[in-house]
Amino acid sequence: MNLDIHDKKIPIIKIRDFLIVSIQVDMHDKLAVQLQSQILHEIERTGAKGVLIDISVLEMVDSFIGRMLSGMASMAAIMDAAVVIVGMQPAVAITLVELGLEMPGVDTALDMEKGMEMLEKKLREKES
Amino acid sequence: MENNLDFKNAKERIEHIEDVLSSVAAGDLDKRLQTDIEDDLTGIEEAINILIEDLTYELKQSKKMKEELEDKLNKIQEQQKTIIQQQEDLLELSSPVTKVWDNVLILPVIGTLDSQRTQIMMENLLQKIVETGCTIAILDITGVPTVDTQVANHLLKTVTAARLLGADCIISGISPAIAQTIVHLGIDLSSIKTKATLQDAMLFAMKKNNQLFEGKIHLEHKEQEEDDK
Repeated sequence: MNLDIHDKKIPIIKIRDFLIVSIQVDMHDKLAVQLQSQILHEIERTGAKGVLIDISVLEMVDSFIGRMLSGMASMAAIMDAAVVIVGMQPAVAITLVELGLEMPGVDTALDMEKGMEMLEKKLREKES
Repeated sequence: MENNLDFKNAKERIEHIEDVLSSVAAGDLDKRLQTDIEDDLTGIEEAINILIEDLTYELKQSKKMKEELEDKLNKIQEQQKTIIQQQEDLLELSSPVTKVWDNVLILPVIGTLDSQRTQIMMENLLQKIVETGCTIAILDITGVPTVDTQVANHLLKTVTAARLLGADCIISGISPAIAQTIVHLGIDLSSIKTKATLQDAMLFAMKKNNQLFEGKIHLEHKEQEEDDK
């Protein structure tokens, strides 16, 4: 196995109250699991209230990654952080629906900007 | 008058026969055996010549037929291409997705829905959502006469896929007959926003738009206030 792939980490950027995760490489199962715990740890460390996951570059999402993403949303929700998945490609959406993975409870947005608005709106609602 | 076989010549002639036969086998049909000497071998030689003639004729015939068949095949293939092209055009035309307002897409569906058509509809809608960045899509099924389990399932899938992209989907134009069949079939559409008419759906979409807009203004106000402080 190539060690480089496993050593590579997906960067998590913190901006104000949010974490921004832009997945720019093909996801494989190990990386997905690693990313999940990485994000949760980062939520704990920074006290972020929202997580934006950009998957616009992902051309293929299998059932494992799909489950991992929706699982992560539930986990983050327990830690009081909202997760918004942005930029899913049409083909990916069709595949997920055909697989029966409808990801209930996961918020989605068309792009980063709309996702950010959504998170801000959610935070406002929580505060008031 | 048949001469007796000259054994000295015979070997040579048999070799010649062999030569001709092997060149025929290799595809050269121009060679013929000489039949001017009449003896025991002449019959065989003549027979071989006739066989070669026949073979040449048959080959010509089959070549001709092959050409004709190829012509026909080409024609059929061209026709097939046109048919496929037209079918694709028809499918494209049958599911136009248009932007009717800021942030609002509309997909009017007319005629019966089958799996293939709904598939293309879904793809078109999702593509358009990504292209235009609209977050509200109205699926108008006023022109759909009947809905069965499969079609309802496809509609559900379309709405779910749109949600995964981050767009809200409203189904409008549900006629009494369709409402009845959907409930009778036991299909659960409660998770989907449905409206009776396109007008209702448009109003709902605009209201939602306003909410989004107000939210933005509210945010800007708040930011300005913070800046002022």
